[in-house]
Amino acid sequence: MRINRAIRGRTGTVARLFVAFSALVFGGTLFGIANTGAASAASKPKTVTLQYWSTYNTADKEASTIANVIIPKFEKENPGIKVKSVIYPYSDLLNKFIATSAAGNPPDVMRSDIAWVAQLAGQGIIQNVGGLKGFSAIKKDALPGPLLTTEVKGKFYAYPDDTNTQALYWNKADFAAAGITSPPTTITQMLADAATLTVPAKQQYGLGVDGTDIWNMAPYVWSMGGSFTNAKYTTASGFMDSSATQTAVSTLLTALKAGYIGSDFQGGASAVSGEAGFPKGEYAMYIDGPWAINTYAALSPVPSYGIAPFPSGAGGSHSTVGGEDTVVAKNGKHIAAADKFAAFLASPFAQLAMAKQGDMTSFKTDSAAEVKATPSYKVFATQLLTSKIRANSAGYSALDTAWSNVMGQILAGGVTVAAGLATATQEANSALAGS
Amino acid sequence: MDSKDSTLLKQRPAVSPPGAASRRRSRLTRIATPYLLLLPAAFLYAVFIVYPIFRQFDISFFNWHIFPGVSNPFVGWTNYSRIFHDPAIRTAAENTLLFLVITVPIQMALGLAAAALVTDRLPGRGLWRALIFLPVVTSWVVVSYVFAYIFGLQGGLANAIISIFAGHTVRIDWLAQTWTGNAVIWIVSIWKGVGWSFIMFLAALDGVPRDLVESARVDGASEPRIWRHVVIPNIRPTITFVSVLLVIGASQVFTQVFITTGGGPFGSTGVLLTYAYQQAFSFFNFSYAAAIASLMAVIVLGLSILQIRLMRRNHNS
Repeated sequence: MRINRAIRGRTGTVARLFVAFSALVFGGTLFGIANTGAASAASKPKTVTLQYWSTYNTADKEASTIANVIIPKFEKENPGIKVKSVIYPYSDLLNKFIATSAAGNPPDVMRSDIAWVAQLAGQGIIQNVGGLKGFSAIKKDALPGPLLTTEVKGKFYAYPDDTNTQALYWNKADFAAAGITSPPTTITQMLADAATLTVPAKQQYGLGVDGTDIWNMAPYVWSMGGSFTNAKYTTASGFMDSSATQTAVSTLLTALKAGYIGSDFQGGASAVSGEAGFPKGEYAMYIDGPWAINTYAALSPVPSYGIAPFPSGAGGSHSTVGGEDTVVAKNGKHIAAADKFAAFLASPFAQLAMAKQGDMTSFKTDSAAEVKATPSYKVFATQLLTSKIRANSAGYSALDTAWSNVMGQILAGGVTVAAGLATATQEANSALAGS
Repeated sequence: MDSKDSTLLKQRPAVSPPGAASRRRSRLTRIATPYLLLLPAAFLYAVFIVYPIFRQFDISFFNWHIFPGVSNPFVGWTNYSRIFHDPAIRTAAENTLLFLVITVPIQMALGLAAAALVTDRLPGRGLWRALIFLPVVTSWVVVSYVFAYIFGLQGGLANAIISIFAGHTVRIDWLAQTWTGNAVIWIVSIWKGVGWSFIMFLAALDGVPRDLVESARVDGASEPRIWRHVVIPNIRPTITFVSVLLVIGASQVFTQVFITTGGGPFGSTGVLLTYAYQQAFSFFNFSYAAAIASLMAVIVLGLSILQIRLMRRNHNS
């Protein structure tokens, strides 16, 4: 018993010593860690790294401008915020953003096609930025068209970034050869010119229309007085199937049947896009955005062409608003930093730097400077004053697909214009209701 | 039980004799082994098949959002009702039905014919079997891309061959036209699928009693009569099995359409699953896509049950 007690006593002493030693070591370590953290926190400000996803073009200077000019300037002005730029192909970006959002790990900021904003807002995966400091600061200077693309059901879900619209590119040599001295100012004149400019022997079409989707067809439809939906994007009935829309579609169908419109309208593997066919003389006229200026400037020889506003019809001269907005992922870890960066992308410094690379500004203040720096933007800046936005609805993609598919059937002769538009309207209503 | 027996029972020791426990253990092991062996497969089946099916039905009754934390309101049968009022789904449904009606009988007929030809007497039977079955084990994605190249406008093999026979350059844009696009989808599906029916029928034909066939032949029955009255009745269970599985497979056609034509031109070659995929991943209408897939599952299940019953009734009559 005595031995046992002695052992117990010794054991107890050893144990007590061990506990005391451990406490000292462990406590010291904890204290040390805490102290080191505190010291480093005091010496270095905490750095936030923002993930910024986009589809900037790597073939020209667009991507390098964002990486080497804009982001470094932002980081310099905002110590403690780093931006990691990741560029994806256009076809991948949306689904990657959706997938990472579902997994709870989206990028902080994304440069989104304006057509995606309503869809992303509908899914609840982007931040309502209406109340954020950066957005409030830039909102009042935004051009009305680009600002509308950020608004979904009265709330703002994006910062306007760049904008664009389409205008009429016309080949000066083809016009001169046909004895036409100036670009058309009316749709009637445009179609008459298209007939004159069509030279089957040279495989030259008077007009190129780059597809049946709304982006490509809307300028014709709107300018001839037609439309797609009501102003609130809740119904297509009475708009997509209206007599004015039918007239617009019938007019294009007639021109296609007459052979004045090229292969790109109906698509297929043999179709040549406007941008590829125009400089080669396949299309005497077509509509395109400001980015084509840089594309043609890089060609040798540079094609001789002019840019004119989209011709007027019964509804006026309306083109489609295009471009990109900046969105912030919902429930992100760095909302305040993301807001700062998105607002910086809308600053005159960033806007004017990107304008030189073909991304027109979405802000009133920078418009004049932009046109001064790039005079060829003037026609686009003027066109933007009457350009319209496509349906800003979560159901837009489905509506656009419905329209495009039915147009394909109409052009192929599978269905009449009236019957086709009735079907398209029904499908569009289903898309809008589903959204 | 007499008194002697009851005495014996009383005399039985309370503790089991040595060896009884190990016998019990081995019996338990014998019973448990198959379940244990099945467990991994059952687990995978439950996780990747059963759960998604139930989840899909579940999602179809809500306005479901992919983002966690966003409210998903219950909408009842709304998504199902939308299917019947959606004109765009009509083309996809028609194409799926057409695909089923065209590819299933052709695959069965070609598979049976090939199985009948590749008999024991055919030299190189093993090689023929391997060659015909080879497409089955290739990847749908790879095969679809290969056929897309074969029927491509630029440098496609199909146009090159037709050009040789035509004596001039033929440029058919196979994949950009509705009927030629559909035809390419049918051709790739039949080419890849026929080997499976072939192997099934080959096994079934091997099981037809030879003495029956021989006695029919001795009795003077012609080959068509032998097939009609001896062979076909004997392989009827296989015919049912093959047809049911082919119908299920045809209803689920997706990869070859998605890769070759992408549902185009203008959605005219799309099928129900490409339409559901588009609704989910292009338009983010996940609930509507789930409703389409769920309805398809119910229809295919019903169709399969009907097929089995009809075949059984024919067999009995």
